[in-house]
Amino acid sequence: MENTTAGKKVIIYSTPTCGYCKLAKSFFKENGVEYVEKDVSVDLEAQKEMISKTNQMGVPVIDIDGELVIGFDQDHLAGLLGIK
Amino acid sequence: MYDLIIVGNGAAGLAGALYAGRYRMKVLVIGAEFGGYNSIAGIIENYPGAPEIDGFDLMMQMKGQAAKVGVEFKDGSVVSAKKLEDGCFEVTLEKGDTFTGHTLLLGQGTKRRKLGLPNEDNLSQKGVHYCITCDGPLYKDKVIAVAGGGDASVKGINLAGQYASKIYFIIRGDRIKAEPINQDQMKKLGDKVEVLFGTNVTEIIGDKSLEKIKLSKPINGSDELVVDGLFIEVGADPNNSLAKQLGCGLNAHGYITVGEMMETTTPGVYAAGDIADMFGHFKQSITAAATGSVAATGAYEYFKLTGDACTRHPGKIAS
Repeated sequence: MENTTAGKKVIIYSTPTCGYCKLAKSFFKENGVEYVEKDVSVDLEAQKEMISKTNQMGVPVIDIDGELVIGFDQDHLAGLLGIK
Repeated sequence: MYDLIIVGNGAAGLAGALYAGRYRMKVLVIGAEFGGYNSIAGIIENYPGAPEIDGFDLMMQMKGQAAKVGVEFKDGSVVSAKKLEDGCFEVTLEKGDTFTGHTLLLGQGTKRRKLGLPNEDNLSQKGVHYCITCDGPLYKDKVIAVAGGGDASVKGINLAGQYASKIYFIIRGDRIKAEPINQDQMKKLGDKVEVLFGTNVTEIIGDKSLEKIKLSKPINGSDELVVDGLFIEVGADPNNSLAKQLGCGLNAHGYITVGEMMETTTPGVYAAGDIADMFGHFKQSITAAATGSVAATGAYEYFKLTGDACTRHPGKIAS
């Protein structure tokens, strides 16, 4: 099941060694954002899902209620999550 | 108003922040990509005292250590910097925020170089990648190529070797310029890694995603190589736009020239880490941290000598 934070459903598609994924997760934790992580290095269904959503193979991909953010763009994430 | 503004929050900036904070300077660190290259370096095995530490975790520890001595942090990109009439510096962020400081430490590092081929941008993240620690694990049981020849390439291959079925290592020159211990680890991957010396990628071919690459010299009778992924690790160029705005001297390759205390040719401006013309091509976490600490010390000494000149300062720091 996907978690929700303030009504927002947040999924991060990541790999274990991805620094930008760690930055994103650190940002979520600092701001109390709950998220579901999908490791696309081992979860091939999640990998297909990510590629199907974005037509690309770079991580992280962050899905916030269907809005997709590719890479760690803190300002964009903050805007989508209503974090000031 | 700060005694020292540090632009860049990688190893150089964070080490400088720690030292300046301990000198009781009022310090602000501004950075857009926390940790710099260390954050995406994967496991770092050559930082003394921290065996086999993830680069991101190392940076988090450095930040925590600096925060403990009162250093402040701000996320964002600094787009302009100028010296004011009273000798202080003003930096402006992309969003328009401005901050002033008596001294500046430039530690923005470098940006990754591209191959400069026509289809490269079109296929970026669609088979063409610049972060092997990030995206390498997506290529499980696939064939990839790594264009490079330095330590980052070899470390990347050692990671990707856990996933890919075959790796072509495409090197322009005639030797690998990586730590021997990392090369030894790569050799353990055996036939999985095929090294192509004296070879360039000349074309990136694919429509919606990468299909193949063309090489400057043939392999197995063909100059085309079918690969699922191409990882580009061909070096980096200095992020020197602020240094230029501030009139800092640069070497022929655009790196900031510095003196023994990491001072630039613009009084009050210091440089550290990969952006500084120090230690030649040897750019490491440890050299970044070391030069950051020296630059902070230089800035502190400069501030003690000149702090009174600036009317914005409420009082001097302890000497």
